[in-house]
Amino acid sequence: MLLLITFAVSLLYIITTALYGADFFRRNEIASTYKQPALIVTIVAHATFIGMLTAPSGYQLGYSSYTIMSMVALTLAVIYMFIEFSTKTDKTGFFVLSFSTGAEILSSLLFSLAPDQGESFSGLGIGIHLFSATFSFSSIAIAGLYSILYLLLFSEIKNNRFGMLFENLPNLEVLEQLIKHAVAFGFLFLTLTILAGVIGSAHSGEQINLLDPKLIALVIIWLLYGASLFIKKLFGWDTKHMAYLLIGLFVFITLLILLMSLFSPTFHNISFSGSVI
Amino acid sequence: MNIISVGVNHKTAPIEIRERISLSEVQAKEFLSDIISSGIAQEAMVLSTCNRTELYVVPGMPEVTGHYLKEYLISYKDAEKDVRPEHFYNRFYCNTARHLFEVSSAIDSLVLGEGQILGQVKDAYRIAVEVQSAGILLTRLCHTAFSVAKKVKTRTRIMEGAVSVSYAAVELAQKIFSNLSMKKILLVGAGETGELAAKHMFQKNARNIVITNRTQSKAEALAEELGTNQVLPFESFRDHLHDFDIIITAVSTKDYVLKHPEMQQSMQKRRLKPVIILDLGLPRNVDPEISGLQNMFLKDIDDLKHIIDKNLEMRRSELPKVQSIIDEELVGFGQWINTLKVRPTIVDLQSKFLEIKEKELERYRHKVSEEELQRMERLSDRILKKILHHPIKMLKSPVDTADTIPSRVNLVRNIFDLEEQNQLNNNQ
Repeated sequence: MLLLITFAVSLLYIITTALYGADFFRRNEIASTYKQPALIVTIVAHATFIGMLTAPSGYQLGYSSYTIMSMVALTLAVIYMFIEFSTKTDKTGFFVLSFSTGAEILSSLLFSLAPDQGESFSGLGIGIHLFSATFSFSSIAIAGLYSILYLLLFSEIKNNRFGMLFENLPNLEVLEQLIKHAVAFGFLFLTLTILAGVIGSAHSGEQINLLDPKLIALVIIWLLYGASLFIKKLFGWDTKHMAYLLIGLFVFITLLILLMSLFSPTFHNISFSGSVI
Repeated sequence: MNIISVGVNHKTAPIEIRERISLSEVQAKEFLSDIISSGIAQEAMVLSTCNRTELYVVPGMPEVTGHYLKEYLISYKDAEKDVRPEHFYNRFYCNTARHLFEVSSAIDSLVLGEGQILGQVKDAYRIAVEVQSAGILLTRLCHTAFSVAKKVKTRTRIMEGAVSVSYAAVELAQKIFSNLSMKKILLVGAGETGELAAKHMFQKNARNIVITNRTQSKAEALAEELGTNQVLPFESFRDHLHDFDIIITAVSTKDYVLKHPEMQQSMQKRRLKPVIILDLGLPRNVDPEISGLQNMFLKDIDDLKHIIDKNLEMRRSELPKVQSIIDEELVGFGQWINTLKVRPTIVDLQSKFLEIKEKELERYRHKVSEEELQRMERLSDRILKKILHHPIKMLKSPVDTADTIPSRVNLVRNIFDLEEQNQLNNNQ
């Protein structure tokens, strides 16, 4: 039953993304009318599915790869919806939701291969760790995706190619603001992820392994993200160069998560209930 | 009942001819009064703009044809020497309606989708109303045309995108900066082109506009007109380049007004914050090498024409949608015209039943109290309304061809024994 629902949720993501695509590329009136309701339905259906999935463990999320990927898809969709409502800019949905859809399809495939969602974690610290990790990756994805759009629009204007992107995308300044906000939120959530992880591990009496590749990668990303907040002022970087850095980070982290999802059934190994290695 | 339109426009006649035949508001009023009082027209309207002069006429006499109206207008303007009937086009009945719908939707305009024509059609209708030359037919025609134009504006993109160089400049600036009111703009040159660009910027909430010009008094006059009152001496404006996010140049000069070294220096001072330079001068005012600077968007007239071409192409691609809206409204308008033909029968039918009611009530007027009589009257009204509902609905219902109208009318007239109707035949 759950397997069927997870693929149904993926299908909803595909439909919503297709509607946003039809509106962006073809200016289809039906797509324009129904894309926003479709997004809301998808988010509600997805949240309900996560509720059904975690109900047996008292609504606590597990560290299985498919749960994390599914949460990434959901948070991306929610963050995008927030951006759409707050900035009244509905022309970037196709790009963000495409990524969301990819994550959800991957989650559904992983679920079909190994439906066990692994052990769940209790405790506020671990809960914050998990949620902030998901939100930080979503913020990194948003920053990376909007950076790509920024560079594409920049290049269109510079080279007098006044095509579809020029016509439909928000202006460079708006894209820059969205990138800045995504970076700020990303840094905040990354900081929370590290702090909550450390506190959670310390609370459970577990020794933190400083050579854990995941921890090292996380700290490097955190440092780079932190630096990117001040890089403009410190080194005089412009948004164009910032965009290259953010795209690089986004690609690196996405590949890292993708590899971990494909080669490890969970993001963390569990030594005993409630502790994380 | 027919509607004829005759006219000249940018497609059929050169500007010299259009000038000869055009009518000012005062002349249009006089012309309409004449044409109505002489019985030539039952209803009439004049649409006269720089690109067209058109008459919309409901003829008052059988001899009033398209040709008659062309000759009448030519002779009214005393333009027999210059203007010939061949310069005119003429349309009848539904084609007249289609033409006015196309004109109001701006798809018959010189610049496809231009925004002024609807206001001009509204003015033409206002003038006709003022001289009482707009009757039921023209009123309905014009209101349908306004509705078509509104639908076209909201449902299609025919009026979207800049189609002039100065508007394209604003459109481009808005694709880089989100809020022009927060940006500092320098206008180099206070000539016609620069003025137009500055005014378009002002319309988009740009308020921080500084003007510099070789003749300072011209710059001051434009600054005052715009209400910005900010002027820089032409000799020293280059020292302040780093302050500006948007620079518009429109001066006549053989040498570049902005050169690479000074802009490079300015970009360094700005810490690479993006700048857009809109070079509207011919020959160009800005060294093209500047476009190689980081975060510098330098656009000349040719670059802006790319935007205009793209927008015109987009507008052309919307034409089928516009035509479909016009077709839809044309069907509705045609059906309404058909209801005009059944109107006398409806009036006769209602009169006949009212007459019967009055006669019957009269018989009881002195036999019952006033209160009872009023109650009987209300009851009869309700019964009549219900009896007449279906026949009237049937008469008014849409028909595929005008041929079925007489058969419907005859049927109703025979059933209810209405007197022979002459008006129906006259109206067809």
